[in-house]
This record gives sequence, structure tokens and C-alpha cells, in this order.
Amino acid sequence: MSNRIITPVAEFEDLLPDDYKDLINNGPFFEKKSIEDLGSFKEIIDDHPHCAGCGVALGIRLVAAALPSPEDTLIVGTPGCSFFGLSQTALNYSTTAFGNQNAVASGLKRMLKIRYPERTKDVVVVVGDGGIADIGLDLTLHSWFRGEKISTIMVDNEVYGNTGGQESGMSRQGKVLNMAPNGKLFPKLPIFDMAKISGCVYAARVTVASPAKVGMTVRKAIFLAREVGPTYVQIYTPCPTNLKFPPNQTLNIAKEAEKDYYSYEELMTPEAKDYLENNLK
Amino acid sequence: MYVKVRVDEKKCVGCKLCIFACPDPNVLTYTENKKVSADENRCKGCGLCVSSCPKGALIIS
Repeated sequence: MSNRIITPVAEFEDLLPDDYKDLINNGPFFEKKSIEDLGSFKEIIDDHPHCAGCGVALGIRLVAAALPSPEDTLIVGTPGCSFFGLSQTALNYSTTAFGNQNAVASGLKRMLKIRYPERTKDVVVVVGDGGIADIGLDLTLHSWFRGEKISTIMVDNEVYGNTGGQESGMSRQGKVLNMAPNGKLFPKLPIFDMAKISGCVYAARVTVASPAKVGMTVRKAIFLAREVGPTYVQIYTPCPTNLKFPPNQTLNIAKEAEKDYYSYEELMTPEAKDYLENNLK
Repeated sequence: MYVKVRVDEKKCVGCKLCIFACPDPNVLTYTENKKVSADENRCKGCGLCVSSCPKGALIIS
């Protein structure tokens, strides 16, 4: 997206809604914005319909603020809680059938490389745990095996949130949910460890309780996906509605998880480390 | 019943921790005099900003 494309012509300026005019004047485009500048620019066109205290909404907000070049970024999403927020961000966004996100992103990345050979276009997949770990697991793993240069970001709320609380592959063992009254029977899927052996050059695991780390890992993942290979970031975003805790405790739950089983971890291949040292300022 | 956030400008030190904690964009904004101001029309009243504020400058009521 360029300044010329989103700026309206003078004749039509009166017809556009105030929200859109705000976005042109105060949006994240054309200036370097980072996660530290949150609160000083407009990041979204309209309200999103997430629940109060939603960790997924917070995770998406932090990811959107951390993008190194939002005007050249295409976000690919899939149905679930994550796409309610994404479809209303001020970013290029494409939705897909459930689980197809990495296959669609692979095609879009190749097409954008042919269409804009002189510009770097980032394709970022932002989906929930159902899209990556359950229904889209085969397409996600195959995009990593093929070495497609896309970054995959999982907002992991450990439950199918918008369909009423079914257990997902990323739920913890023994967790009792609305539609899993006996508790989950098998352990949480080790997608983070699978990313390491499936060809990802960079994998990171963070929680929403540490926004600086979220920003840093997302930036690294996108820079590495431009040149080196596929990258993966997993963000823990607890869900107050279905995991049954008060909405003002989201960050405390995430902090406890960080101490317990969701510790900050970062895996890099040697060539990715070399690239970051030489290119990232 | 509607619950909304209010900022006590005397207690606010402008650390921006509440802005990083809020799931809803454009509710809490950083003003030019280095304080936080709240847009009450967009607030959903979850209370995450209140639990993250070290100075107790935010109230949900």
C-alpha cells in the first residue's frame, strides 16, 4: 500500500467516514512505528467484536504494532477468534478456508515476488491454535518442509473460542472445558519442537505478558522470512470466556504460565544467526 | 450495567503499561502532555489496565 493509494481524491473526501480520514492522518503507515509508540497512532479502522479482556485481541494488537513495514505486509488468516480482529486492522488482509492459510500464503508470496520484483513484500500468517495445530497441520508442516519464505504466527488460546469451548490439540492435558467435561485426555501438541525439525530457521515462544519480547520476536521472524527461510512464533493468549477466569486476570494467568510451562524460548539455525548479526540494526 | 475506565490525571506518570495491556486499540491514548487519556465510548470494561497500573491511577466504574 502506498500513500497515493489510500489517500482519497479531493472530490470524494467528504463522502468517506471519519474513521477512514483518521486512519490517513494518524495511521501507522509511511513512518517507522514500533511497539514502543503504541497509543500515539491509530491502528484499527473500527472496533473489533472480541470479548472483554481477550488475550487473542491483545496478541493481534501487539503483532500488528510490531510489523516492520505495515504498508508492504499481507496478513493471511483463517476462521476462528483471530480473524475477528484481523479483518478490521488497517492492513492488507486475506481470509482462507479453515486450515488452508499456509498453502494460500505460499502462493501469494510467489505471486507477489513476480508482480513486485523490486519491492520486498512480507506475507505473515496470523492464526489461532485450531488453524495451525489441528485442521491445518498438514499444510503448515508442508509449507515448512518446502522452505517457503513466510512467517507463521500462532495466537495460542488453548481452546476453540468462538464455537463454544471445544478442546483443541493445544489444550493442556486434564483441562475441563465447556464441551470437554471429562478433561482432555492427551497432552498438548509440541508444535514448537516440531517447527525446529521441520525446516524453520527461527522459532520463538512468548506470552502476551511481555510485549517487548513479542515485538522483538515478530520483527526477527519477519526479517528472517524475507531472505533465509520459514519462521514460527507462538504467542500464549489466554481466553477468559472459555478458560473461566475473570477478564482482568489475563495478564496474571499469562505470567503464571510463563513461569510454569510456557517459558520464553528462542531457536535459531546458525545461518539465521549470521544473517541477523549482519543485517539487523 | 456499563463499566468504563477513568484516568486520574494527578496520579498518572505516563509509563504506558496500561496501553500495552489493553486488548482494544485506540481506547487508551498517549497525549502530548505525557499522560494517558481514555476514550470511554470504546472501553469494554475488562479491567486489565487497572490490574497493570503500578500507581493506581485508573478506576473502573
